[in-house]
Amino acid sequence: MQSEKTDMKIVPLMDDGYDGEPAKRVLNYLHGHKEKGDPIVGIYCGYAPIELIQSMGIVPASLCAFSKIPIEAAETVLPANLCPLIKSSYGFIIEGTCPFFAMSQAIIAETTCDGKKKMFELISEVKSTFVMDLPQVPDQIEAVQNWKKMILKVQKFLEETFDRSTSDEKIETALKASNRKNALMQKIFDYASIKPPVISWQEMYDVAFLAQPSTGQEIIPVLEQLIEKLDMRVKDGIYFGKPDSVRVLVTGCPIGGDATKVFKVIEESGGIVVAPDSCTGMKTFMGRFDENTGDPIAAMADRYLKIPCSCMTPNTKRLEDLSVLIEKFKPDVVIDFVLQACHSYNVESYKVGNHVTNNHLLPFLKIETDYSDGDIGQLKTRIEALFESI
Amino acid sequence: MKCAGIDIGSRTIELVVIEADKITYSLKTDTSYDPVSQARGLLKTISYDRILATGYGRALIGSCFDMPTITEIKAHARGAIAVFPDARTVLDIGGQDSKAISLHDTGKVKKFEMNDKCAAGTGKFLEIMAKTLGFDIDDFGKEALLAKNDVNISSMCTVFAESEVVSLIAKGCNRCEIAKGLHNSVIRRATGMINRVSSAGEIVFTGGVAKNSCMCNMLADKLGRRILVPDDPEMVGAFGAALLAGE
Ligand code: SF4
Ligand code: SF4
Repeated sequence: MQSEKTDMKIVPLMDDGYDGEPAKRVLNYLHGHKEKGDPIVGIYCGYAPIELIQSMGIVPASLCAFSKIPIEAAETVLPANLCPLIKSSYGFIIEGTCPFFAMSQAIIAETTCDGKKKMFELISEVKSTFVMDLPQVPDQIEAVQNWKKMILKVQKFLEETFDRSTSDEKIETALKASNRKNALMQKIFDYASIKPPVISWQEMYDVAFLAQPSTGQEIIPVLEQLIEKLDMRVKDGIYFGKPDSVRVLVTGCPIGGDATKVFKVIEESGGIVVAPDSCTGMKTFMGRFDENTGDPIAAMADRYLKIPCSCMTPNTKRLEDLSVLIEKFKPDVVIDFVLQACHSYNVESYKVGNHVTNNHLLPFLKIETDYSDGDIGQLKTRIEALFESI
Repeated sequence: MKCAGIDIGSRTIELVVIEADKITYSLKTDTSYDPVSQARGLLKTISYDRILATGYGRALIGSCFDMPTITEIKAHARGAIAVFPDARTVLDIGGQDSKAISLHDTGKVKKFEMNDKCAAGTGKFLEIMAKTLGFDIDDFGKEALLAKNDVNISSMCTVFAESEVVSLIAKGCNRCEIAKGLHNSVIRRATGMINRVSSAGEIVFTGGVAKNSCMCNMLADKLGRRILVPDDPEMVGAFGAALLAGE
């Protein structure tokens, strides 16, 4: 991408040879650990208690997939009208082409949506899988208690599977490191709130994909360096898009790989993504763990249940958080990204749309799509029409 | 000043030239497999000071002939409000897509809905069904209006609906009643889209399907709202583009 002002190619933020290929970067990270003999556990969701896993010296690997290629294979077993994220993840597994799955010695799964839940039953036939029963009415007082119990159970599962142990001290240290990591990530995202933004969606993705599985200790120095680089960009007057590019907040289902077609269409239509609000973007780095409570597992349970996923009901926190993001990132429009057959995000879109148009007076568009390229023309028309309506 | 608008749809290309906001020239042709040559042919016949391209093929034509572009949503909204200034809702059903648009009082687009990527609920659907039933597409609506009852067609998908129709014919159902049922299934889609963007007031109906009298009657009945059809409903997008070219 070019900067208007300097008309010079911007040096990629991470500049480590993996720019634009976050999955490869993470794979490289995991290989490093594998060589050291560290165990790897596959996870599927933002609710996975990463700090617990890390406190045992185990490395988490996200198995959510974003490629259309394995979908055909998946459809030999799964119905065609299922969320492409689920089909893609499962297709990779039965094709035996997912290096992340191959490296994972066990799987931690969460009962989020029905499609994933039923897929986990199929996965458990192939690999040792622990399914965490996720409470879905987070405002009930029992919810946090139950989630804490579930985290304790997963702890036992990990201890037995990997012959590792942890302690309250180790978990507390991991929580503190994550707080620091998440605060730095929030700071990095903030560079997109500047008008025009000094960080691109691709770079935010690149950093987020690596930061998610990394421990605080590993990633904090990297993030600090990135912040220095971003400060330099501010000084040098480097930015993305044009000063009058339409600022877009994209909320909804996780976006990655082939689904990033939406971001590309947004850019081609004269927009710039300033806030990717999903589990592959900013969502998992928000919030904070309470420190020094004496019960780090409870602190963990509390913070994780605050992730505003559409599988929760009522998911009022999503709208509250969205308001905070809108205030901060000052988008001109909001796009809700819904993967085909994701009923919870799809139904919730009605509330999100009303919230955005009535309370923030911003134009709103829901996009329902999958990983194929067949609807790019249609997406272009919708997104351009949305921009025209500003 | 002479302003032109060219609407490159999936089935047809329309060209409109206006002077002082009045249409002075209009022409239509098939999009075919070579929209660039088709557009070139149309453009040869006119002269203009300003032009805008719209429709599904706008990016291609815009870059080939170095023209600015706007979406068909904005073009239809502009064209419809020029013909019926009091309307705030537009329904456009063309060859391969359909859309419902609501407008602010200023004429700006407020909300819009478009059909999914398949042909269900579009002109193409009606065309295929007319053929299956042996009707001429131009008489399809009139014939459907002759039916007293309608047969319920449950499939929205063009392929499935076609086999449903074939089995209804085999059962000996009246073909006008089947035709009415098919119109009803397009109406159900269209009303769903309209209700998502606006709840009251007149509706401007544009696109080729607006020429179908059965569609207009059934829409008005079902929604209890007035349906306004411009003289040349297929030209509204190109007309809107021409108006916007001059603004
Ligand atoms: S969107 Fe929901 S189900 Fe998907 S990863 Fe995020 S929290 Fe988990
Ligand atoms: S996008 Fe929706 S349907 Fe797909 S895995 Fe996530 S919650 Fe489930």
